[in-house]
Amino acid sequence: MNKKRAVILNTVIIFSFFIVIFRLVDLMIFNHKILANSARKQYIKVEDIQARRGIIVDRRGRELALNLELDSVYCDPQNFTRENEKLGTLASLMGQKPEAILAKIPEQGRFVWLGRKMEPEKAEKIKSLKINGLGFLTEAKRYYPKSNLASHIIGFVGVDNQSLEGIELKYDKYLKANGGKVIVERDAGGRILSSGVITEIKGNNIVLTIDEVLQQIIEKELDKAMSKWKAAAGSVIMMDPFTGEILALANLPDYDLNKGSSANASERRNRAITDCYEPGSTFKIVIGIGALEEKILKPNSLFDVSRGGIEVGGKTIRDVHKYGVLTFKEVIQKSSNVGSIMVGMKLGKERLYKYAKLLGIGEKTGIDLPGEVSGWIRPPEKWSATSIGAIPIGQEVAVTPLQILRAYSAVANGGYLVTPHVVKEIISPDGRTIASFNDRDKIRIISSRTAETFREILKSVTEEGGTGTLASIDGNDVAGKTGTAQMINPATKRYSKEKYVSSFVGFVPADNPRIAMIVVIYEPRGQIYGGAVAAPVFRDIANQALSYLKVPIEEKQNKPDIVVMR
Amino acid sequence: MERQDKCLLIITLILTGFGALMIYSTTSVLTPVLIKKGATEFFFFKRHLFTIVVGFIIMAIAYRLKPSVIEKLAIPLLIISLILLLLVFVPGIGVSAGGARRWIRLWPSTFQPSELVKMAMVIFLAKYISSPDYKTDSFISFIKPIGVMFIFQLIIILQPDFGAVMSLTFLTIAMLFLSGTRIRYIGILVLAAIPVIIKLSLEPYRFRRITSFINPWEDPQKTGFQLIQSFIALGNGGLTGVGLGSSKQKLSYLPESHTDFIFSIIGEEFGLIGAIFVIILFIILFYRGIKIAASKKYIFIGYLVTGLSLMIALQALINFAVVTGMVPTKGLPLPFISYGGSSLLVNMAAIGMLIRLSKKDENEETEDKNIIKKKIIKRKVESRNFKRNYKGNRIIFER
Repeated sequence: MNKKRAVILNTVIIFSFFIVIFRLVDLMIFNHKILANSARKQYIKVEDIQARRGIIVDRRGRELALNLELDSVYCDPQNFTRENEKLGTLASLMGQKPEAILAKIPEQGRFVWLGRKMEPEKAEKIKSLKINGLGFLTEAKRYYPKSNLASHIIGFVGVDNQSLEGIELKYDKYLKANGGKVIVERDAGGRILSSGVITEIKGNNIVLTIDEVLQQIIEKELDKAMSKWKAAAGSVIMMDPFTGEILALANLPDYDLNKGSSANASERRNRAITDCYEPGSTFKIVIGIGALEEKILKPNSLFDVSRGGIEVGGKTIRDVHKYGVLTFKEVIQKSSNVGSIMVGMKLGKERLYKYAKLLGIGEKTGIDLPGEVSGWIRPPEKWSATSIGAIPIGQEVAVTPLQILRAYSAVANGGYLVTPHVVKEIISPDGRTIASFNDRDKIRIISSRTAETFREILKSVTEEGGTGTLASIDGNDVAGKTGTAQMINPATKRYSKEKYVSSFVGFVPADNPRIAMIVVIYEPRGQIYGGAVAAPVFRDIANQALSYLKVPIEEKQNKPDIVVMR
Repeated sequence: MERQDKCLLIITLILTGFGALMIYSTTSVLTPVLIKKGATEFFFFKRHLFTIVVGFIIMAIAYRLKPSVIEKLAIPLLIISLILLLLVFVPGIGVSAGGARRWIRLWPSTFQPSELVKMAMVIFLAKYISSPDYKTDSFISFIKPIGVMFIFQLIIILQPDFGAVMSLTFLTIAMLFLSGTRIRYIGILVLAAIPVIIKLSLEPYRFRRITSFINPWEDPQKTGFQLIQSFIALGNGGLTGVGLGSSKQKLSYLPESHTDFIFSIIGEEFGLIGAIFVIILFIILFYRGIKIAASKKYIFIGYLVTGLSLMIALQALINFAVVTGMVPTKGLPLPFISYGGSSLLVNMAAIGMLIRLSKKDENEETEDKNIIKKKIIKRKVESRNFKRNYKGNRIIFER
C-alpha cells in the first residue's frame, strides 16, 4: 500500500468529519434561535377557540347584547373532492357562482372559510350535501335583540367578534376575558397533538347603569320631537345626579346594532359626548353659581335691565324682551342676557373662568365610553374685549351635552361634581363581581348652601314667568334652565340665522332629585327656543320616567296655564 | 495486535443500540404516513430489533471467514450482487416504493442489493489492486475497475438510487488512489464528468433539484423542503437538545426521519453534544480500521481492511454532509443507526470481517508467508517481462 497516499486519504476523511462538526456548530449554535423559531412556528399554532363574549345587560338584568350559536362552513383543500352537481347546489345555497367558490379553495393549506355564521336552515342543507372536505364549526354571533336601542352606548362587534364601538370596545378585554385562544402543538398534517383544555370560554358579563325602560322612553320622545321639529339631530342624557350613573342616553340619528358595519358616521356618532356646541343660556349656571358662592349677590339683588341692551366692547347685546328692574333670581328665570352680563362683569373674568372650570367645562367628564371630547373655554388672558359680553351667556365656549348635565347635577346633589358612567358592575361567568363602579369619584365643588339657593332659582324657571314653563309637570317641581344658541356656520364662521341648538337641562323632583336630564335638539325648524322645543321633551320624558320609577307626587301650589316664551 | 479489537465491537454495539433507541423515538409517535403503512407503536422498533439480531449472526459468520476465503469469494460475490441487482427489475421479485425499484423480495422482508454491491466492490477492488497483474502506471489497469463500477452504477441509476452511486464512486476512486495509481488518471475521470455537469446545467429543472442544497430557501415547498426541515431539526436541538422523545420535526415535518435523516433527529433530541458523540464514534471506528490496515503485511488484507473501513466511514460522512446541506440531498442511510435492514446487515458483515482481521492469526500468518513466497516468484517472472516495456518496476517492489 502506498503509505503517503493512505496518510493523505485518511487525513482528508477525518478532516471532513471535523468540517461536519463545524457545520453543526454553525447550524445548532449560531443559527439555533432562528431555526428553533421556525420549528415553533411550524408546530405551535395559536388556535382561536370561539370564546363566547360576555353578555351586556341593563341595570335590571335585561339582555341588550347576547350570542347566537351559528354554523360556519370551511373547506380542507387536501380532502376536497370536486363533484359538480353538489358544488352547484352548494353555490346556489350560498348565493354564489360555483367558480367563485372554487376560486376560494387554494391548492395548498388545510383550512379556508367558505361561509361564516350562516342561518341554521342553510347550514343544515349544506351539511346534508355531505361534500368531502367540508367541515363545520359553531361560532358565536353577537346579537342585539333590541336593535337600535342604546346603540351609542352598547356599540357592536364585527364578523370575527372584534369590538368596534361603545361598551363592546371600551370593555372589550373584560367581555373577551382571557379566553379565546389556546396554544396547540400539531404535526405536519395539522393534527393536534397536545393543547390546553379546550372548553368553551366565556367572557365576563357587563351590567350597565342604563335602564332599558327609561332608554325606550327617551328614544321614543326624542324621536317624536325630532319629527315634530324636523331637527337634524338630537341628544338626551338622563343621569342619577348623585352617583353619576347614566340611566339612559340616546342620540338621533342612530343605527341598528345588528347591521352596525353598514351604519354611516353620522349615525354612529355619540353626539352626547363627542360633539361640542355653544350652550347658550344653560351656561348661565356658571355666573349664577359663581356670584352666589362668592357671595357677591343674593337672589333678590336688583339689576336694572330696562334699556334692553348692554354695550360691551363696542357691541350691543340685547334681551329678547324688555324687562324693567329684575332681581338676580329673575335674571336667571327670564334668562335675561343683559342681567347675566352684568352679573358676569361683577364676577370678573378670572372668577368666571374659575367657576366654569370648577363645574367641569373644558374637561372630559371621564365617562367610560370611547370618543369623549373635552370642549373648550378660553383662559381669561386670551379673552377679547367682547368676551365678557359673550361668555356669561354661553357663547365663545364649546361644551358637550354631558358636561352641562354634570354641572346641573352638582346643583341637584348639593354641590358635588360626579363622574358619569354607564357600567355598573362586571360579573364573571360564574357570578362573581369582578368590578363594581358604584362609588365613582365625587368632588365637592360648591357649598350645599349655594347649591340649594341656585336650585330655588332654577325651580322658578319652570314656574310662572320663567322661560321653561313647558318643562313643568304635574305633581313634582322641576328645576332647570333653557338654552338657545345660534350655530356657527362653518362656511362664514359667523352665527347662523337659521341654525339653532335648543336645549333644556334640569332635574326632578327639584327638592329630592331622582333624575337629572338634558335634552338637546340640533337645528329645529319652526321654533328655536329651548323653552319651546326642548322643554316639552323634558316634560314628557320626566312624566313617564317618574311614574316608572314610582316617585311619589308632592304637594304643589296650583300653577296657572300661562305660557311665557323664553 | 495479538488479540481481536474489542473497540470495534463496543462501538458497533453502542451505535446499533443508539440506533434502535432513535428508531423507537422516531416511529413510536404514529403519523398518518406510518398509519397508512399499517404501523403500530412498536412496528418499526420490533422489525429493527429483528434485523439487529440477524445482523449479529451475519457478523459472527463473517468473523469466521478466512481472508483467503474472502479473496476467493471476491469475483463470485460481485457476480451474485450483479444478478441480485438485476432481479430488482424482474416483476414479482423486485419491489418498488416511493417511485424507486431498489428492493428484492426476501421473505419476510426485502433486501436492497445496492448495499451489497458496495461490499462486493470493496472486496473485488482489494483483490484487484493487490494482485501482481495490477500496474499503477497502466491506464488499462485503472480503467478496468472503473468500467466495473460504471456497469453497476448504470443499473443502480435505473432504480434510481443516487446515494449508492455517489458512495460507490467515492469508494472506488479512494481505493484506486490508495493503490498508487497515477493522479492524472483520476484527473481524466473527473474531466470525463464535466460533460455530464454541463448537460445538467442545461436542464434547469434538474439542475435546480441538485443545487437546491446550496440555498434550500429558494424553493422551500418542493426541492428545498426536506433540507429546511433537517436544518430546523438540528437548529431546534441547539447545544443540549430538546430531550429524548421530544423531537417535533419527526412528527411528519421531516420526511425520512427514521431512515436517511435520522441524524437530524439525533441532533434535535440530543443537541450538538449528541451529534458530535455519534460523529466521534465513526471517527474512532475509521481510525481503528486504518490502524489495523497499517499493521497488515499481507497486501490484500491491508486493502480489504482499509476498504471496509472506508465503506462505513464514507457512507457516514456522506450522510452527515447530506443532512447538513453540504452535498445534494440523496438517499443514503447512516450506518448502524438508520432503519433499513440491508445497510445494517452489510455493515455488520464488514465489522465481523474487521474484527477477525484485527487479530494476528498464526495460521493466517504462515498462510500469508506461503502466499507471499508464491507471489514473489510470480513477480520476478513478471518483472522480467516488464523490463521489456518499462524502464523500472519500482512500484511493485515498493509494495
